[in-house]
Amino acid sequence: MQLDNPGLLYVAATLLPLASFVLLLLAGALRSVARPYRDQGGIGASLYETMGGDRPQRTGAYVATAAIGLAFLLSLVGFIYFVKDHGFGGHREGAHAVAGGQGGGEAKPAEQEGAPAETRWANHLDFANIALHSGKATVLTLGYYIDSLSAIMFLMVTLIATLIHVFSIGYMSEELTPVVEDHQVHTEHGPLQRRGRFGRFFLYLSLFCFSMLNLVLADNLFQVFISWELVGVCSYLLIGFYYERRSASNAANKAFITNRVGDAGFLIGLLILWTYLGTFNFQDIFRELPQRLADGSLPHWIWVVTGLGIFLGCVGKSAQFPLHVWLPDAMEGPTPVSALIHAATMVAAGVYLVARVYPLFSAEARLVIAYTGAITLFVAATIAIVMTDIKKVLAYSTVSQLGYMMLALGVGGWVAGIFHLLTHAFFKALLFLCSGSVIYGCHHEQEMTKMGGLYPKMKTTALTMMAGVLAIGGIPLFSGWYSKDAILAQALGFFLLHKEHFLLFLLPLVTAGLTAFYMFRMWFMTFTGKPRDEHVYEHAHESPRTMTVPLIILAVCSIMIAWGMPPWQAELSYLGGHEGLLQMSEPTAPLESLHLADRQLTEYVHENHMVSERLAYVVGGLGLLFAALLYYWRVLDPADAKVQFAGVHRFLWHKWYFDELYSAILVRPALTIANWCRVFDTRVIDGLIDNTGKATIKLARWDGIFDNGVVDGLVNVTGRVIYASGARLRNLQTGFIRSYILFLVLAAIAIFFVLSYFLTLAQAGP
Amino acid sequence: MNVIGLDAYLLLGALLFVCGALCMAMKRNAIGVLMGVELVLNGANINFVAFARYNPTFQIEGQVFALFVIVMAAAEAAIALAIVLNFYNNHLTVDVDTAEELKG
Repeated sequence: MQLDNPGLLYVAATLLPLASFVLLLLAGALRSVARPYRDQGGIGASLYETMGGDRPQRTGAYVATAAIGLAFLLSLVGFIYFVKDHGFGGHREGAHAVAGGQGGGEAKPAEQEGAPAETRWANHLDFANIALHSGKATVLTLGYYIDSLSAIMFLMVTLIATLIHVFSIGYMSEELTPVVEDHQVHTEHGPLQRRGRFGRFFLYLSLFCFSMLNLVLADNLFQVFISWELVGVCSYLLIGFYYERRSASNAANKAFITNRVGDAGFLIGLLILWTYLGTFNFQDIFRELPQRLADGSLPHWIWVVTGLGIFLGCVGKSAQFPLHVWLPDAMEGPTPVSALIHAATMVAAGVYLVARVYPLFSAEARLVIAYTGAITLFVAATIAIVMTDIKKVLAYSTVSQLGYMMLALGVGGWVAGIFHLLTHAFFKALLFLCSGSVIYGCHHEQEMTKMGGLYPKMKTTALTMMAGVLAIGGIPLFSGWYSKDAILAQALGFFLLHKEHFLLFLLPLVTAGLTAFYMFRMWFMTFTGKPRDEHVYEHAHESPRTMTVPLIILAVCSIMIAWGMPPWQAELSYLGGHEGLLQMSEPTAPLESLHLADRQLTEYVHENHMVSERLAYVVGGLGLLFAALLYYWRVLDPADAKVQFAGVHRFLWHKWYFDELYSAILVRPALTIANWCRVFDTRVIDGLIDNTGKATIKLARWDGIFDNGVVDGLVNVTGRVIYASGARLRNLQTGFIRSYILFLVLAAIAIFFVLSYFLTLAQAGP
Repeated sequence: MNVIGLDAYLLLGALLFVCGALCMAMKRNAIGVLMGVELVLNGANINFVAFARYNPTFQIEGQVFALFVIVMAAAEAAIALAIVLNFYNNHLTVDVDTAEELKG
């Protein structure tokens, strides 16, 4: 079968979750509308029952799962077409020189057959015409652009989302009862009672899937920005899913507000691009940028600011230092949400965007990215070491791994960063779902200090989680090994080239050990040793099959997703290797004209690959060893270590005092200023308005007196005078003819005298 | 010989006017008042005629005016008598002092 526009498959895959969202929303709305008539019988009541009635139904979950599952199938078909079109594992033309000519031979340029690839895989429609001041008319467009990056992202997002939907059907089953008791919220009548929110959860998930896919699909920054905000909203809604809990609503607000800080930067970047280039389309931007930089119409520093602005958005979304504080708090949401949004997809959107607009970053900006990533990965890993909440450990681990991705992108390892994004998505989703399974099995106990020895009770969960731990720990043949290896090699190459930036290699190397340590610590604490809390242990149970099956699939993916032929050659991974799928999308052509691609760097990376690999083995082994010593063999006592390093422990336990710092320098000043403003408002502005009101009333009173007295008085006096004179004059009308005659005679005499007077005057005159 | 001049006529006219006016003022009988009116008019007539006689430029006009006044007096008398008749029908008297409904 030959398709003319296989890219439309991806559009359909994007719109499916939206359809599911709209469907669920309409059903919910109909239910709410029909609810007042539920007891009256007739159409209203039957509509109410059809739309779910009092008891939350599973139907919504099936609709949402079917939609995202179908989207996965469509992405798969689209991916097959894509591979048919573009060949498998080749470089784009122009990239051969960079890769040392290794991949050139196998590359199959398939543009010759059928429609040109541009129209097959990318298209857009005008969304809004906007005329610029300069007279140059530009348009906002909605469009899609599919390269191997978005094709693989689609596969990853839809697959993980499908599995998490299935997992959630099991995990959220407690929301299926008409009345749910939330034991963490206390009202005056005991624990809070509310209706189960099963459907709402899947409603949000559907919206999220649509937004995320749209973000990946977009061919322009404007569309990305819309989706960016939409996933932010979904994240907000889902973190605050149990919004009656104060901590959950606070965490939701924190996530949303922190992201606003980043989005401000994103907006600045967007506006600069719009002003200077007049387009948001990625390909247009990349085509115009080198020319504009060359002819000087786009100053270099503007380029830097644009990159930093957009990167700030990514810092917010991907929870990088210094905006990383929201992600650990976001663990207040249900665990599948943590897995999907706050581990696998949304937080990776920042990394994805950095990769997508890679040519927008100048060398300076990339250095900032690298250092941000390095600091983040180290800080987060150190905090993860001391956390005892199983989800918090994973949250900090996520932050740390995102830091790895940013670092990789910063030091020029485009493929390495995206590679890690993909492998991380699988194993971190797996880890989160495993933790969800543990939490579910332990009846919502998240503290590892109350777990222990759970292995016999939940073998599937433990084994799949072990796969995830091995993957993130960088154990060879597990997916994390390939990508982390690539990142470390890249960092080492960068360090050898720029010796002053030694931290960019040292921090990720040390953190590789820390990662192994805290992940094994988590696993040992949860599954091995003696149960720490008998009550939790006795009631622990393995999760139902809807939850374990996704775990197994994800575990398989976590192990094999990055394999190549043969699997033990990391550089031959079909996904992120030198001839891997991702290599095809690496923005090479514009990079070369911007002098981004550093051949020397590439050579260093290749030459020293083995060095970084061995160093990583050593460090990772040390981490594993320490974790086993402390928590498995118990040769060393963790409590003892805690006492010995009390200062360090306290420092890490308080998460480097970031929250306290922000509270001191941002939150409290903001509150103080707000308080001042309130005082100003109540005193000055309210006072002003009150006094104005009072003065107006007083003035009106004076005015009333003037009106009543003077104006009305004048009118009244006139009337009264006329009335009085009339009353007098009426007496003249006596009705007696004699008096009239008398007047007549008197008038005649008067006329006579007047006439004679004038007559004498007239005679005397001339 | 003592020629009768204009002054005598004017004096007579004035006398008639005053008599008429007094008659109007004094009489309570409506018919009497009408008679007074006739006297006033005729006083004026004598003046017209006298001026027509003694003032050559006023010869025709004086007489014509006198005739006008006579005709007008006749018409006025007719109307006034009709009013008086109606008044009598309503009040069974012709006393002008009882006619005071229109008093202010």
